[in-house]
Amino acid sequence: MSILFQISWRNIWRHPARSGILMGAIIVGTWGGILVAGWGNGLIEQRVDYLISTELSHGQVHHPEYRAEREPWMTIPDAESILAYLEGDERVQSVSPRTLSEGMARSPVTTSGVRIHGVHPEKERATTALYDRLEKGDWLGDEFRNPVLIGGQLADKLRLEIGNRLVLQFQDIDNEITAGAFHISGIFRSASSDYDERNVFVKSDDLSALIAGETFYHEIAMSLTSSDQADGVIADVNERFPDVHAQTWHELSPEIRYIAAYSGTLTYFLMAIIMMALAFGILNTMLMAIFERMRELGMLLSIGMNRIRVFAMIMLESLMLTFSGALAGILLSVLTLWYLGDRGIDMGMFADGLAEFGFDTITYPFVTAGEFFGIVIIVIFAALIAAVYPAIKAFRLNPVEASKE
Amino acid sequence: MSIIRTENLSKIYNPETVPVHALRDVSITIDEGEFTSIVGPSGSGKTTLLNMLGGLDKPTSGNVFINGTNITEMSDSTLIDFRLHNIGFVFQHYNLVPVFTARENVSFIMLLQKKSRKVMAERADKLLDEVGLGDRKDARPKEMSGGQQQRVAVARALASEPRFILADEPTANLDSASAMNLLDIMEQMNRNNGVTFIFSTHDQRVIDRARRVITMMDGAVDSDEYHNREKAATGGGGQ
Ligand SMILES: Nc1ncnc2c1ncn2[C@@H]1O[C@H](COP(=O)(O)OP(=O)(O)O)[C@@H](O)[C@H]1O
Ligand SMILES: [Mg+2]
Repeated sequence: MSILFQISWRNIWRHPARSGILMGAIIVGTWGGILVAGWGNGLIEQRVDYLISTELSHGQVHHPEYRAEREPWMTIPDAESILAYLEGDERVQSVSPRTLSEGMARSPVTTSGVRIHGVHPEKERATTALYDRLEKGDWLGDEFRNPVLIGGQLADKLRLEIGNRLVLQFQDIDNEITAGAFHISGIFRSASSDYDERNVFVKSDDLSALIAGETFYHEIAMSLTSSDQADGVIADVNERFPDVHAQTWHELSPEIRYIAAYSGTLTYFLMAIIMMALAFGILNTMLMAIFERMRELGMLLSIGMNRIRVFAMIMLESLMLTFSGALAGILLSVLTLWYLGDRGIDMGMFADGLAEFGFDTITYPFVTAGEFFGIVIIVIFAALIAAVYPAIKAFRLNPVEASKE
Repeated sequence: MSIIRTENLSKIYNPETVPVHALRDVSITIDEGEFTSIVGPSGSGKTTLLNMLGGLDKPTSGNVFINGTNITEMSDSTLIDFRLHNIGFVFQHYNLVPVFTARENVSFIMLLQKKSRKVMAERADKLLDEVGLGDRKDARPKEMSGGQQQRVAVARALASEPRFILADEPTANLDSASAMNLLDIMEQMNRNNGVTFIFSTHDQRVIDRARRVITMMDGAVDSDEYHNREKAATGGGGQ
């Protein structure tokens, strides 16, 4: 058997340029494909991290119907004990209780629908990345009475500046329309201008005073030591506090569910397309090789090499060609990912000003071990597809080919 | 004792479309130790006949017996194995494996026969010496002349210790000096070791050296003559 490996390997190098180019294409194809897939993974992870850090946190607690109805009276019963419980859990890094209201923001120029987040300044700052996204002004402090943080997009629309007065209008606990005057203490800019137009942040004490005259919460957001802990922590909260509904980050966002489901698929899809294209190249080269070698293969059958061996010899030739190229490509991609996974790919070079919009411009590409396993399966599958047909052609050859003119 | 016997051998190519009667009722017997040439003009059926004798192709009708066994009834895989152990082949185009050295080309067939490494190495060495390529054992085909390549092919055919060797136009691609040299070697193997050779040719000088000449014409045997040549092989073998 080892002699078959030897012949096949030598046969590959009969046409060094032809096989070299094909092998080069396989190396570049697998390397490039894995790298792009890794980059995609990095971007997805970055997006998920972004959503967790700004909008979702790792988990949230609400009144069971709040997310569907958003009625002001759907507050969290006994929020204090839930907060105390979460703060005592070592898996929890920080918690941020919030008072929420759907309302209108009014300036002398125009009016705009907004979601008002009443937050505890220190706790919110410890839990989300909103503070990092402040573009102008300061965090919710004591400089102004009723301070408010608004997004850059809303500030532009309402033509407001730091220190200007903004009237927020919303329903109180008895469903009466009420309003309060707030002062802009800071302007933030996130990755989404839509988010920036529709969300404003005030102190929860200020907001709940206007809604009910006492402090209460609609939402508790939590940041955990690791996103993997979310399922466990949330399950524990739900078990301990049956009157509330706690959800993990992936339960909270359909977008995240969607992209997480597609991230692996994308990698395999990309690799399958690349490998299918390469398989055609391999198939073509091997058919050419067989066509050129009709007389020699006929001779081998004539002198007594059995058809199974001839089949195996051609299979081995295609497979060795593919696997050596793919192996080199995979090793190269492991090295590249190892390097880039550490240093990151800085897209700031390609797209100016992304950072201004709250985008993190450095992406850290990665490919999971499971994905590598899947890629290897795809490579093997493509190699077999490319190898079988030429080998069958050789298997069926007539020994009289040897003496044909 | 006869090693090959054909019985009303006929071959029609493309019987359905454009039938070509390549062989018509050929019945011949070849004995052990013969040095026989199949001659005839191009298209007379020499290659077709040799392919039938070697079990490379099946006749349309008739039978081929080798040592009393009817090979036309064998399955494809049995026949391949039968060829491996009984028949040696030499082709017009040498048909060496280009990625093998002379030694590897000769050894390969013994590898297929599952001979031991030691036997293989010794026999390949001995045969290459005998065909006068003692100093080209590690050369690849493209580093050798046509005559040298064809001598490797003869050594390869002998390596499997076949009952007979079929050579289809073995000298057609060689210059006359190389052709005569090859004939010298074949003749020597025949005389000294009793190897049976059946070779086709249309070269008169090659025909002159055969002891039996079977002439084909339009797929049928036109004449079958024995040349009682006592003239010894000129100048001996390779070296
Ligand atoms: N595979 C084939 N298909 C159809 N006709 C063939 C085939 N091989 C040979 N022939 C025909 O059969 C006849 C005998 O051919 P061949 O045995 O090659 O003769 P030779 O070797 O004496 O030149 C020729 O007419 C040739 O054209
Ligand atoms: Mg011929």
